[in-house]
Amino acid sequence: MKNRGYIGILFFILIGITPFALSFGYALLYSFGVIGVANSGFTLEFWKAVFESGEFVKSLFYSIAIALVSTVISVSLALWFTLAFEKKLRGRILSFVIYLPLAIPGIVASFFTVQVLSKAGFFSRLFNKIGITSGISDFPDLINDPYAIGITLVFISVVMPFFLLLFLNVYQNERVAELAELSRSLGASERQTIWRVSLPVLIKKTWTLIALYFIFLLGAYEIPLILGEESPQMLSVLIVRELKQFDLSKISEGYVVAVIYTVIVSIATILLFSNRKSQDIHE
Amino acid sequence: MFLEIENINKSFGDESVVIDLNVSLEQHKTLSILGKSGCGKTTMLKIIAGLVVPDSGSLSLDGRSMLEVEPAKRNIVYLYQEDLLFPHLNVFENIAFGLRIKKIGNVIVKSQVEEMIANLELEGQADKMPHQLSGGQRQRVSFGRAIITNPSLLLLDEPFGSLDAGTRKNMQGLFRRLAEKFSITSLFVTHDLKEAILMGDEIAMMESGNLKVYKDKMAFVEDSNTGVKEELTFWKEMMG
Amino acid sequence: MSKLKSIALWAYVVAIMFPFFFLLLLSLSSDWRYPALLPEYFGLKNWVQVVGTESGLAYSFFISLVISLSVAVTATLSGFFISRYVSYHKKKGLLTMLTYFPYILAPVVFGACLSYYFLRIGIFGTTAGVIIAQFIIAFPYALIFFSSFWNEKIKNYENLVSTLGGNRWTTFTKVLLPMAKGLMMVCFFQTFLISWFEYGLTSIIGVGKVQTLTIKVFLFIKEANFYYGAMSCCLLIIPPVVLIYINKRFVFNKLI
Repeated sequence: MKNRGYIGILFFILIGITPFALSFGYALLYSFGVIGVANSGFTLEFWKAVFESGEFVKSLFYSIAIALVSTVISVSLALWFTLAFEKKLRGRILSFVIYLPLAIPGIVASFFTVQVLSKAGFFSRLFNKIGITSGISDFPDLINDPYAIGITLVFISVVMPFFLLLFLNVYQNERVAELAELSRSLGASERQTIWRVSLPVLIKKTWTLIALYFIFLLGAYEIPLILGEESPQMLSVLIVRELKQFDLSKISEGYVVAVIYTVIVSIATILLFSNRKSQDIHE
Repeated sequence: MFLEIENINKSFGDESVVIDLNVSLEQHKTLSILGKSGCGKTTMLKIIAGLVVPDSGSLSLDGRSMLEVEPAKRNIVYLYQEDLLFPHLNVFENIAFGLRIKKIGNVIVKSQVEEMIANLELEGQADKMPHQLSGGQRQRVSFGRAIITNPSLLLLDEPFGSLDAGTRKNMQGLFRRLAEKFSITSLFVTHDLKEAILMGDEIAMMESGNLKVYKDKMAFVEDSNTGVKEELTFWKEMMG
Repeated sequence: MSKLKSIALWAYVVAIMFPFFFLLLLSLSSDWRYPALLPEYFGLKNWVQVVGTESGLAYSFFISLVISLSVAVTATLSGFFISRYVSYHKKKGLLTMLTYFPYILAPVVFGACLSYYFLRIGIFGTTAGVIIAQFIIAFPYALIFFSSFWNEKIKNYENLVSTLGGNRWTTFTKVLLPMAKGLMMVCFFQTFLISWFEYGLTSIIGVGKVQTLTIKVFLFIKEANFYYGAMSCCLLIIPPVVLIYINKRFVFNKLI
């Protein structure tokens, strides 16, 4: 029995941890010039270059800003829908419809967004038809735009439906309706009930998952790849672009960014994890 | 004696959970053990069942040393407070489980399980799934599933702990009848004073890892630690 | 309900349904140029091509299916058995945290850093390489998924079976697997979808040679062949919609 447990853990380390350790080790060594075709031994040059160029820092804050705005808007919308339509959304047809967005992967959402929001897209044609715009150039830049409107919209359209389902689920499991009733019977107004009972219960039960989705959005790839600008780029896009460069010193810089990104995400994981050790993994 | 336990000790880290355990019990008898939660009774039962390895001591059943024998071969069944019915099997298959894994033929299984169902007073329930049963019924199925394997020793850990008072009383009666009919040898752990006295042929008390076996029920009643005297005083004062 | 609220609800429903109709329409169209609001051609022309070899979509659908099924089967089974050892381990907390690292990291970055090893082993740009790469990110998911299954109660069941005379084989086949069947189905479809929807990692490890449906969508965007692109999107969406129809839990699971 003891012996078999040992084998189980060995497998866990082999397929669960080793790939991560190997990839991180490789990126780390490459970033310091220890390995790599054009590299000739340990150097801090690539790390310096990354911080001096400023592109990475810009990309980091750009990614954080987009992920944060998208998460906040998604959570707010989903909370509002939950409290406003909790009963309606349990109806036979609606309860099916609200699951449908989960069938659409990021790449399809991006493709669709290009089709409807680009300058030659569906909405541009519609506005042209009803006379709001008078040609392609009148329609605003909504994709590949400097304010990342396209990316943010798709992030929201991918994440918000998930949060809505999550909140509806928690609403029922935590019996928020009963708690709200109780709060009203204790003399709280409708407003007080929402702000002091319903919302805190929903958020408290889900905030780790919300934080996790923020991290996922931070590392999102195909959506900003299709809908983003040349510069700045979101982190994953930047990393992959640099790693695919013909300029060999750029590859090492790409690994520097990959290492920093991995460290940030890992620290976030540790923080999240140590905060919720006592909670259940999932119900 | 049929069951002989000598000087068993077990500690987890610095905490001694079972201290110098000595028990002997004749065949077809029930030893009831009074103990509050956390007194070490669960660890004691798990050691006997082979689910926990003791630090020292010896354990023999019918003259055969047991400590080296794996749980599946001991023929000792340990029943948890939770009934732990298999949710994917109906009443019949739950009871038949132990026979099925011994690959006993269908005809024999059928007759034995049907007889057991009758003894458990569960006629007509054979096809029901566990979630369709009441707490008392579930606990009966759990008993039946254990007894039908004809265990040398049955270990019961607060089996009626989660039942309401009325059901509990019925179950106590049922267990006595089953124990009689199937000549069961068992250790019966409970935190209920009255239940300890009712269920056991012999009686003991466990407190912070130490088990004290009384020579008879009167000795148990006389010992001020058991709480029987306190109880008596209370009722006497009530009556004036 | 106020007017504003009911407008919001309707807007949401329309926003959900619109992409499905639009993509289907686009896949049935041809010669749909600005500023036309509706396509010139409307019919089955593109879909007839699916069976043909020109678009390569039938093959992509097939290879995507093979990859996703392989990933789902291996991740679910290995996740189920290995999470038992992790969950019963003394250092469960630490081990689970280690599982989260590869789970949270962007797959594309993970893949980019791993590609060197794939190149060395010689599975770079192969279907097997893509399956292994996707398994590496689906496995942590399955591991975390099953960790709540292996609780004290399940341990008690295992003990009970052994005192009733069952060996490990009977414990697994007669008790644990039947009890976990529902969960395993959910995990299977979840890991299937992780693989089915995956783009970045596949593009890195597959280097354009393993053309799953998501890769196809991207290629068609680059070629500005939106009609075929829409068709690939429809093929991508159909399986998850069917799964939602069968059981919502297959698609939505509030893991973590």
